[in-house]
Amino acid sequence: MPSVPSQAKQAGPDSGQADRFSNAFNPAFSFIVDAALDYVDLDSGSDEDGFDLSLRILEVASQAWVDPSAWAYFVGAAEEEGLNIEEAAVHYVGLGSQTTLRAGRFFIDFGKQMQTHVHELRTLERPLALRAYLGDEVKGDGVQYDQWAAVGDKSALRWSLGVFANLLPEEAAYPVADVALEIDERKDLGDLNFTGRVTAFRDVSENGTLQLGASARIIPEYTVLDEVNDLSEAELGNEVFGVDLTYGWIDDTGQRRWTLGVEALANSGDIELSVLDPDGTPANGDESLNVKDETVFGFYGFLDYAWSKYRSAGVQYSRATLSDAAETELSEIELYTTRWLSEYHRLRLVGVWSNDDTADEDSYRVALQYTAIIGSHGHGINW
Amino acid sequence: MIQALLFIASAAGIGTAPGASAVAFVLPSEERVRVLATIPDLAGFVREIGGERVDVDSISRGKEDLHSVTARPSSLVAMSRADMFVEVGLSLEIAFVPGLLHSCRNARVQPGSPGFVSVAQGWTVSKAPAVLSRQAGDVHPQGNPHINLDPRAGLHMATQVYEGLVRVDPGSKALYDARFEGLVLRLKQAQTRWSAMAEDWKGRKVATYHSEYDYLIEAYGLESVGTLESKPGIPPTPKHLSELVANMKSGGCDAILSAQWSNNDTLARVSEAAGVQAVVLPNQCAGMKGADDWVGMMDLIHDRLEQAFAKSAATK
Ligand SMILES: [Zn+2]
Repeated sequence: MPSVPSQAKQAGPDSGQADRFSNAFNPAFSFIVDAALDYVDLDSGSDEDGFDLSLRILEVASQAWVDPSAWAYFVGAAEEEGLNIEEAAVHYVGLGSQTTLRAGRFFIDFGKQMQTHVHELRTLERPLALRAYLGDEVKGDGVQYDQWAAVGDKSALRWSLGVFANLLPEEAAYPVADVALEIDERKDLGDLNFTGRVTAFRDVSENGTLQLGASARIIPEYTVLDEVNDLSEAELGNEVFGVDLTYGWIDDTGQRRWTLGVEALANSGDIELSVLDPDGTPANGDESLNVKDETVFGFYGFLDYAWSKYRSAGVQYSRATLSDAAETELSEIELYTTRWLSEYHRLRLVGVWSNDDTADEDSYRVALQYTAIIGSHGHGINW
Repeated sequence: MIQALLFIASAAGIGTAPGASAVAFVLPSEERVRVLATIPDLAGFVREIGGERVDVDSISRGKEDLHSVTARPSSLVAMSRADMFVEVGLSLEIAFVPGLLHSCRNARVQPGSPGFVSVAQGWTVSKAPAVLSRQAGDVHPQGNPHINLDPRAGLHMATQVYEGLVRVDPGSKALYDARFEGLVLRLKQAQTRWSAMAEDWKGRKVATYHSEYDYLIEAYGLESVGTLESKPGIPPTPKHLSELVANMKSGGCDAILSAQWSNNDTLARVSEAAGVQAVVLPNQCAGMKGADDWVGMMDLIHDRLEQAFAKSAATK
């Protein structure tokens, strides 16, 4: 009978520890290039119409194990001012069972689309409802506890709780007047922000999987500043809730795939912000901030079909009511087709039709997006 | 995988756990050994050597392109409970194994642990690149990983599985020894049978869709006319296909070999344009009638090749 192989190996010539420049323990690196050539046509016929070629993202990511119980990663994005740290976090897995403690700066665990970077989406941008209520991307400096458990043989249940210093987007997708949102710098417990998610993921047939989830982002206390008129309003709160459902079907050969996803969102709290200025002249002392407590709703849904591992197409529809006084109704429909040139780069043709139902204005955008992922990349489980 | 339901968990993606400490887990004698294999071929070896002592399942089901298998929730659950995990290795299962190994958080099956088995370990890899680069094609970076389709690899794969079972469950060694001995005999008889069938196959010309059957080609001295994919994992381009068709027409070709996943319109078009028969073969067990276990699958492959070569000879 064959013997069990021995792990022993003779020490090689590189076994001396004489070189502090050895790269054997360097982290794995990857680069992401995402560029888009697009044409925009606005109903208003503004200067923003026309063609534009933009390097949307030049990202560098790196990851490595720190020791047997922790791994760390960072994602930096090149911006005009220099390198911006998008994410930098340590995952501690030494607590045992299926738990992870994450600390640092990272994207929030909300639904299926907020954790991923924009170039990883199946569409050009995040859905309108997410952009309107949460922001283009939401990252925070904080700590997150994450755990999963098997339920029977075919289901897994995962939940997470995050505590952050600040989760307001750097730039609101639909800024209200010239009002800036801020979170007080000094924190007591009430000033911390929270996220939570619970999701169940299950085989529903030989070829199908179903995932259900519920997420929340809670900002118990924030301050509104209007620098133009020197006004502020403190002790405001905001909560965003979402429920999501994703169904995936893959044929026996692993080539053809259908994915259907929906997420419904509610944005609630002190969210209707406006500046009242009776005489119309700013900063002469008669202005006041008006904040109303209300709840607005939005959703998105998509259907994606891949007829081979290289080609897919889909449609995504999103609708959201804004929290302005007019309760502006926005909708967006995006059609796209993606061609993977190999596993590491792809071309995507996208058409976006956006509509402001309240003002009855349309805009169109056609874009050709190219994305390359160079270096190490993994296929984890996103749920 | 591309457009899979399971995406990258964090922005930076996920790696495999580092060499987990080699902890010995002693299995209670009344409990069956829970084994998860990536492909049915390996699950079959586990079943054949482990018999009633093992409880085994596989992630792929028999018809998939092994470079684009998607892990299901049930795979994650099975991985988290497994006493032993068996993969081919050489990046064949890179689309789904690293994510599962990372998320399952099961120390028993992490690389370096007694319960982790990569059957490619110790195998002499065909087309191993001198320089590690994606330039040679993006899904075979460590050389050709399709060793489950090498008629000479049965004993090697079975031995790796046997050794893994003995490591995780030394108390049942006598049972494994006896069953392994039976399997070795069966494999040797099969190999003699296949060698006899393939005696006059040397120099037969074949094209393949993806370079899945390279070890088979190498084993019997067949001549490869080319692949429909321009490089492993790079989709066929019109220019490459027209060159391939021209080559097949001028130099001759007996058959185009494809798996079920690649039995598509492109294959049909090339087959018609070149006037060369397309032969669909299993690329793993359990996906075709008769290919229930590895020996059965290899029998089916040899039968289909024999028929194809006879047909090609008759039309010449
Ligand atoms: Zn391959």
